[in-house]
Amino acid sequence: MGAAHSASEEVRELEGKTGFSSDQIEQLHRRFKQLSGDQPTIRKENFNNVPDLELNPIRSKIVRAFFDNRNLRKGPSGLADEINFEDFLTIMSYFRPIDTTMDEEQVELSRKEKLRFLFHMYDSDSDGRITLEEYRNVVEELLSGNPHIEKESARSIADGAMMEAASVCMGQMEPDQVYEGITFEDFLKIWQGIDIETKMHVRFLNMEAMALCH
Amino acid sequence: MFLLLPFDSLIVNLLGISLTVLFTLLLVFIIVPAIFGVSFGIRKLYMKTLLKIFAWATLRMERGAKEKNHQLYKPYTNGIIAKDPTSLEEEIKEIRRSGSSKALDNTPEFELSDIFYFCRKGMETIMDDEVTKRFSAEELESWNLLSRTNYNFQYISLRLTVLWGLGVLIRYCFLLPLRIALAFTGISLLVVGTTVVGYLPNGRFKEFMSKHVHLMCYRICVRALTAIITYHDRENRPRNGGICVANHTSPIDVIILASDGYYAMVGQVHGGLMGVIQRAMVKACPHVWFERSEVKDRHLVKRLISGVKGTCINNTSVMMFKKGSFEIGATVYPVAIKYDPQFGDAFWNSSKYGMVTYLLRMMTSWAIVCSVWYLPPMTREADEDAVQFANRVKSAIARQGGLVDLLW
Repeated sequence: MGAAHSASEEVRELEGKTGFSSDQIEQLHRRFKQLSGDQPTIRKENFNNVPDLELNPIRSKIVRAFFDNRNLRKGPSGLADEINFEDFLTIMSYFRPIDTTMDEEQVELSRKEKLRFLFHMYDSDSDGRITLEEYRNVVEELLSGNPHIEKESARSIADGAMMEAASVCMGQMEPDQVYEGITFEDFLKIWQGIDIETKMHVRFLNMEAMALCH
Repeated sequence: MFLLLPFDSLIVNLLGISLTVLFTLLLVFIIVPAIFGVSFGIRKLYMKTLLKIFAWATLRMERGAKEKNHQLYKPYTNGIIAKDPTSLEEEIKEIRRSGSSKALDNTPEFELSDIFYFCRKGMETIMDDEVTKRFSAEELESWNLLSRTNYNFQYISLRLTVLWGLGVLIRYCFLLPLRIALAFTGISLLVVGTTVVGYLPNGRFKEFMSKHVHLMCYRICVRALTAIITYHDRENRPRNGGICVANHTSPIDVIILASDGYYAMVGQVHGGLMGVIQRAMVKACPHVWFERSEVKDRHLVKRLISGVKGTCINNTSVMMFKKGSFEIGATVYPVAIKYDPQFGDAFWNSSKYGMVTYLLRMMTSWAIVCSVWYLPPMTREADEDAVQFANRVKSAIARQGGLVDLLW
């Protein structure tokens, strides 16, 4: 009569897939249950239970990112209706800090993944390019919380950013050449100098460091 | 030398008397009720007393923590991420100062890298936010005086430490030997009893005796663990010819279920002490013990206990069996077992502890408190296949036990 807790094998699987430790997974599972109201899946409406999220100007994009099939690695486009715990962890794993034990290649990969997450946030129609409209949309949302900036300024910031991106990616353009939009490679080029590793991660408390006395 | 002699015999006498008294008490209060299936309610009283003590201990801890301004890590509503306790605006200024390469006197209202910041903040609130934590305060927050469950046991007050020390003393020096004695009695009675019953000629009397020997011994084992079990919906108890399916959290499940009903079991052959017990049991009742490499004779068994186990990837026969019990076409009686972790954590992490360590942990906890729900019987419908039926049963059990139907 075998006796291992049926969930602990799954925990180990999840550890392997997402890179979280088993304590972190258990904590996140409790959080998942809180958000979902003890249901096995979460829908968009469940995120309304997090009041602090209301203060965040890009909350709708963040919530949307949880259901984005590209982030869930389930398809090239579209939104899922609901996500289960494994999907939840997959999205969370984009925000794991860069491990100091990782080698160059892994660090590069991790950075690329984080930037890809951001790219999906910008590229809302999933066509692989960030167009001027999409960019404007993001900037407007970011600035929506700031009362000092008007919509006009938001648009001009977005236009300026697109022009800069075009010059970085395409160099000097002919007068009738049209810049289609920022592709993922261009996106990487733009953020090359900036270390996003420290900006796009959530610091987990190290549970195992706490003494476990018997 | 001469002075020692009278003391010697005095000590021996005292020892002898106390042992006799202990044994009599044991017999009267624990074994006799187990034989007849009645209960004096001692365990329930014990549980109530413990709860009061735990509540007091928690209050002391909270008070002590407030005085010293410590952050009290409550094991079940722990924060998991380190958040900056500064406000949004301050943080933005901080980021600009550190990352901006533009003119420092002109503080821009907006930077494109702000998106990183908001993204991260959003994630943090989703993972862990103060308001939701406060509303879920009815989760386990009291300390049950077992330092193995409090990860941040610090010295809070003398009284609390004394209480904890007393708890350790009681658990290890009083309860543990008592429980070991009971377990020993229970197991040996089971082995002896079933062997004796095995010699009887097949018939109604044998069935009757076998049933009562089994029940009696399981009840003694239940008391050996100080398991306080609440049964719900006993009218749905499995009947003859049905299959009982339960969610399998620990090896104790078997003892808990078997003390309330007469089951023929299906399980893997073990060596050692378990093997002796298994061989003895099979003489009195048609249990089926199989090697992992063979699955046979499942039709012989009238009533089964089977654990609905999670996937065991390199062991195909267990998985086949799991499906097999749903193919037979008998009525399935789902049972949900849920343990209350406040008195003792019944979870067995088989990679961390071996069987003996696990049993010792069980026997040195305060008690094992659990609830058993007997769910109404289910049968496979015509258009369902075995796997769909199995899933239906699984979700019924998960829903009842309040367990999230994790990946399986």
